[in-house]
Amino acid sequence: MKYFRVIGLAIAFSLIFIPGNIFICQAYEDTQCFKCHTSAKKLIEITREIAKTRPALKSAETAGEG
Amino acid sequence: MEPLAPHEKIFVDSDIVDDENHGEIACHECHGGNPDDPNWKTAHNGVVKDPTYPDATAACGDCHDEINENYKTSIHVSLKPFTLINDKRALKDKPTHSKLELGRKNHCYTCHSSCGQCHISRPDGVEGGFLDGHLFQKKPPMQEVCTACHGSRVQPEYLGENKGVLPDVHHEKYMKCDKCHTGEEMHGDGKDYANRYEVENGPKCTDCHKEIYKREAKNVITHRVHKNKASCQVCHAQPYKNCAACHVGKDKKGLTFFKTKASWLDFKIGLNPLKSEKMPEKFVTLRHIPVDRGTFDFYVKDALSNFDNLPTWKPATPHNIRRKTPQNSNCNACHGNESLFLQEKDVEDKEKRANKDVMVPANLIPRKQKWQPK
Repeated sequence: MKYFRVIGLAIAFSLIFIPGNIFICQAYEDTQCFKCHTSAKKLIEITREIAKTRPALKSAETAGEG
Repeated sequence: MEPLAPHEKIFVDSDIVDDENHGEIACHECHGGNPDDPNWKTAHNGVVKDPTYPDATAACGDCHDEINENYKTSIHVSLKPFTLINDKRALKDKPTHSKLELGRKNHCYTCHSSCGQCHISRPDGVEGGFLDGHLFQKKPPMQEVCTACHGSRVQPEYLGENKGVLPDVHHEKYMKCDKCHTGEEMHGDGKDYANRYEVENGPKCTDCHKEIYKREAKNVITHRVHKNKASCQVCHAQPYKNCAACHVGKDKKGLTFFKTKASWLDFKIGLNPLKSEKMPEKFVTLRHIPVDRGTFDFYVKDALSNFDNLPTWKPATPHNIRRKTPQNSNCNACHGNESLFLQEKDVEDKEKRANKDVMVPANLIPRKQKWQPK
């Protein structure tokens, strides 16, 4: 019985005193979006891959000031 | 402004989770896509790059409801004055107008802003990219947002980058754009304006310089004598950038481009075509704008057949203000100085009719003064 009381108190303590967004942040950090977009290494690899397949977006004919 | 490398544009700073206001919102809640898909290609299906344009309601509206209410009327978002002004020069028939609209969509409407393109990333018109790892910026940084777009005229004027022209005195006092152009002005007020000078909460010099007409003020006589006769810039601006002959089109690969004639520095005082209670001055500074009869010829010939409806020398507020300028050094530096005024000889023949209301006839150029205040 004492054992359950201690566990119950620990859970109640964590719910009251640990900021809510810690749980949210963990969920956030687990997403693929977050993992990839916070990794410069991954982004460099992917953007190089994209650059190989995507043609230039800017015309060389643009001249003068807009 | 240094361009960002492709990966820098989309690199998210993990500190975003510490943002107490935005850190609890998961990426896909605003941008869509599939956050659980390990394949980046399919994970991006349905992703919206800027969820705040053209409608910011879903992304920002829940919390920033007051701003969101009027957001679409911000002229940085709606570009309404540009469209209205352009329409006044255009033919009204439907087929011509729809081709003109296609041209404007491909070239002109790309220069707009949004919540995201001021507070999170550089505007799309300058190739985007996060300002600081997707961290939200309460005040958009001047050089990566404001002058990133207003980089041909305002930036060189304000920072003193035009050869032989001094920077704006307000820049020397470390003032950034937002000191005069407030968030309220940027966010719109629910009204559609025909031009930017009508914007009710737009900046006025007298917002700060409240004392200039008071008896004890320095130069009170000069300021009182010229009140409602000349805009502040007529006396306090320096030569500024003018452009002409913008033509838009698509190259052989189908990529959009524009071409303008070389720009030039000039200073011209003309008659105010927008005279109103808010802008009562008789004389204002005029800037030649890039529009041309054939600007949209690639899309439709003679789309701007009513070209003469509006002047090509347009009221301007050069951002290179100085207390002392050559034209205000004494009365006769301006009075009787014909070269400062836009006259018929300064305007190309093909644009004379368009500018008839802003050119200053010889009899309206202020005469030389015999008496000058000390």
